[in-house]
Amino acid sequence: MSKIVETNAIDAFFEETEKLQKALPKKIDANPQNVEAGLAKLVLTLIELIRKLMEKQAMRRVEAGSLSEEEIERIGETLMKLENKMKELKGVFGVKDEELNINLGPLGDLM
Amino acid sequence: MAMYVYGIIDSNDKIDAFVTGLDGVGVYNIPYRDIGALASDLDTPVRDTDEERVLEHETVLEKMIECFTVLPMRFLTVFNEKNNVISMLNEHYNDFREDLDRLHDKTEFGIKVIWPGAVIREKIANAYSKAQVSVPSPDDSPGKSFVKKKFETYKINKEFEEEADRRIAVIDNFFNRNVCEKKLERLKTENMLLNASYLVDNEKQNDFKKAFEEMRAFAGDLKYLFSGPWPPYNFVTKTNTRHDRE
Repeated sequence: MSKIVETNAIDAFFEETEKLQKALPKKIDANPQNVEAGLAKLVLTLIELIRKLMEKQAMRRVEAGSLSEEEIERIGETLMKLENKMKELKGVFGVKDEELNINLGPLGDLM
Repeated sequence: MAMYVYGIIDSNDKIDAFVTGLDGVGVYNIPYRDIGALASDLDTPVRDTDEERVLEHETVLEKMIECFTVLPMRFLTVFNEKNNVISMLNEHYNDFREDLDRLHDKTEFGIKVIWPGAVIREKIANAYSKAQVSVPSPDDSPGKSFVKKKFETYKINKEFEEEADRRIAVIDNFFNRNVCEKKLERLKTENMLLNASYLVDNEKQNDFKKAFEEMRAFAGDLKYLFSGPWPPYNFVTKTNTRHDRE
């Protein structure tokens, strides 16, 4: 059976594929000069993942109504400080938000 | 001499037709028990993925699926010598045999679907805003305001993902009855609603295509890209043959 390729919007698919490719570097640019930046990026990615998981868990608990007003305030302040600290660290190491991701092969993207 | 391996086939026979592989040289079968490895000789090392070579690799597999069940190997699978290929076949024979049986007379089809993600998100955000579920108050502490803001984003994201799941279920329902296996990836980007791979029995290819025609008629504001049949790239069990390679 011969190959079929049918679409009603080829340009839109090129655009989305480009977006996906841009999100992940083609090669790891590792050399002695940038090893610190690479390590910082990796560590920040892991911290960001944990921060987002904490945030999501907190939102689930807010949604479930299982937190008191005091607890909401305390969690809010903690999450806010964490977010600000991350912004600061990203600035220090010159890492952009979209760079904080890792492709885990068959498991997909980390974030 | 180094060898480039394209895939594993369910035959230990010679390949009758002349099929050209990378750099225009002929592809042959390296037999092992009742299976074989599709290979061609390689004079110069291939280190980088370039479009021309990827297409050459793909062309070999496309021609071979007309005659055999093929397990596509990853692009750039190179061995130092024939003995290494045979060792690899020996070591992974049971896995290959199992996959060849499972994928016999089956091919892969792909369907990608784009939806207007930004428009849908905005609609959800507007509805959320009108419902005034979590209204900021001047009396709120900074911590509480932060939680309210984050909670709004969380609820909008959740509704967005639920809407995506509902639409994916409708699309998948068109194809589901004609497939053996499927892999569905949701929201790889905000607009890429679905990236699906379906494994289809060769006898059901026409039914599967009819299902696509039905889906197309229903598409509305969805953009789609339907393609196939392909070698079953997404349904081969991942086998680590890397340590044998060059």
